[in-house]
Amino acid sequence: MTTADRSPGVPPATLVLAAQRAGRKLTTTAKRAVHFLLRHEDSAWVWAARTAAVVPLVALVLLITVLAWKAWPAIEVNGLGFLTHSKWDTGNLYGAVTKTHGVSHPAGASYGAWPLIAGTLESSGIALVIALPVSIGAAFAMTERMPRAVSRVIGFFVELLAGVPSVIIGLWGALTLGPLLARDVYPIIARHAPQVPVLRYLRGPTGVGEGLLTSSVVLALMIVPIIAATTRDLLKQVPDLPKEGARALGMTDWEVARRVTLPWVKTGVVGATVLGLGRALGETMAVAMVTGVVLGSTARNVYGTMTTIAATIVSQLDASFTDATGFAVRTLAEAALVLAVITLLVNVGARLLVRRSAGTALPVGRGI
Amino acid sequence: MDLDKIEAPHAGASLASLVDGDVPRPRNVLRSKDLSLRFASKTILTGIDLPIRRGSITALIGPTGSGKTTFLRTLNRMNDKVPGFAHTGDVLIDGESLWARHADLLDLRRRVGMVFQRPNPFPMSIRDNVVAGVKAHRIARRGQLDLIAERRLQEVGLWDAVKDRLGDSPFRLSGGQQQLLCLARALAVGPDILLLDEPTSSLDPMSTEAIEHLLSTLAPALTLVVVTHNLAQARRISHETVLFFDGTLVEHGPTADLFANPGDPRTQRYVSGRIG
Repeated sequence: MTTADRSPGVPPATLVLAAQRAGRKLTTTAKRAVHFLLRHEDSAWVWAARTAAVVPLVALVLLITVLAWKAWPAIEVNGLGFLTHSKWDTGNLYGAVTKTHGVSHPAGASYGAWPLIAGTLESSGIALVIALPVSIGAAFAMTERMPRAVSRVIGFFVELLAGVPSVIIGLWGALTLGPLLARDVYPIIARHAPQVPVLRYLRGPTGVGEGLLTSSVVLALMIVPIIAATTRDLLKQVPDLPKEGARALGMTDWEVARRVTLPWVKTGVVGATVLGLGRALGETMAVAMVTGVVLGSTARNVYGTMTTIAATIVSQLDASFTDATGFAVRTLAEAALVLAVITLLVNVGARLLVRRSAGTALPVGRGI
Repeated sequence: MDLDKIEAPHAGASLASLVDGDVPRPRNVLRSKDLSLRFASKTILTGIDLPIRRGSITALIGPTGSGKTTFLRTLNRMNDKVPGFAHTGDVLIDGESLWARHADLLDLRRRVGMVFQRPNPFPMSIRDNVVAGVKAHRIARRGQLDLIAERRLQEVGLWDAVKDRLGDSPFRLSGGQQQLLCLARALAVGPDILLLDEPTSSLDPMSTEAIEHLLSTLAPALTLVVVTHNLAQARRISHETVLFFDGTLVEHGPTADLFANPGDPRTQRYVSGRIG
């Protein structure tokens, strides 16, 4: 079949024929509808596009609204302390039910999500610190260093890695990577880390590999493909002329990359990073499998056990249904709302950062 | 023959060497000796012998594909990484081979600057563009960078236009201003030689005039090698002209001579506009 004639008002002949052939079995109303659509092909297309464009917005607003509505009783009872306390206690599920602000909940129920929030931010933050240099390095290697054939093969594997289900990476992290790191790598880092702010969290007991750092490494592994593949595509678009100019000025390859090529795609790389960070913040299965869920306390050093909001929700949901008052589930909804807000804030923050730093006009990768 | 133009740079150069307290440097700052060059199986240049006099402006002219740009890019080794690059013969800078074992590529490129066919500002502020090379070569202290940027922008006549928006993007400047910025950037690292690959071919007549004027003022202090398709430009600004044809050097001589009394029939036809 040839391509349909798309001039407005004229129904494409082939389509009309097809419609007529099919129309024999249709009702008159359906026939009219088909003919109407064919006559108004262009406006139908425009409206379909508009509807599709609005869907994400509506979905997001609905999602947040429903979540907030479900969580509202829990927000009332848990108060602001939900964000700062560490105690996670469902109360006595088989005992008396009490009421606070008119919301019934098991006696003794007390929820503080601080460890979950801290764990989420810490694990994603460390994952980003690991993933960003690796991704950018990989992207540069693929675009500037390797022969094209090698780079294509590596690129294929990078994209393949992006498609590996998180449950598989989680299982591998829990069974293989965690124990390996805990046995051979962590003790060395812990012994040599200096006693200075921030880095001192690398010191201390290294555990069995079911903690924060292992989760971060696993998360990093999951977001490297996202950032690396996007950065590689962006780097390919950087024109040769400014790079040549930099080389002709006597810059080393490293300086050309740092001063010219990377700034050229900065906007896009930030966009890709936010995408990766979003994935890390919301990643559930891998973290839940690697660290388990340790409620009630934050990690004491980077090897310490912890949990994240997402991992807690998935692991606690089943138990929460046994709370006859429904308060535990509402609390999980509140935690989910906090996660949604964190993700949104990260997104908006990154966009503001890009807008502010795009002052020197970056022709490639704008608006990702 | 235009004696003034030929003699002046020479005098300037010997003065410079006296100030430096060096032994007098060779009269030819660059010398191509029987240079042949190919990319894989494709021969681009054959047996180029060309001395380039210190402090002069040399125009390289010739039809498209005659190898003049490739020759220019060889002078600061921009071709070395092109796949299949191979050469015989040599190019001497101040008597030393470009490819000598102890030659420092980055320092060569500091001494031999380059300006391209289209302006290629870096994605950083106007001020940072000017001092990008200075920073890379660590020529000056951080505190001196503002002053260097100002001096160089004044030198190329861009200062008044950009002094209130040094932190702005260079991509909002006009094409001519961007090219001047690239010139300022190339000058900021203190080169001895400046290679220009059709520096005005993408610019309007006014900007072209500004750039040509600037180039003619740079000459005694710097050696310029300019590839141009614009014969009138070659006549206006250069002291010596070299005609390339099919990867060979056809004729080399003082500009006025070469245009007035071409020695080779191909030169005659090219400068009269019958070929190329």
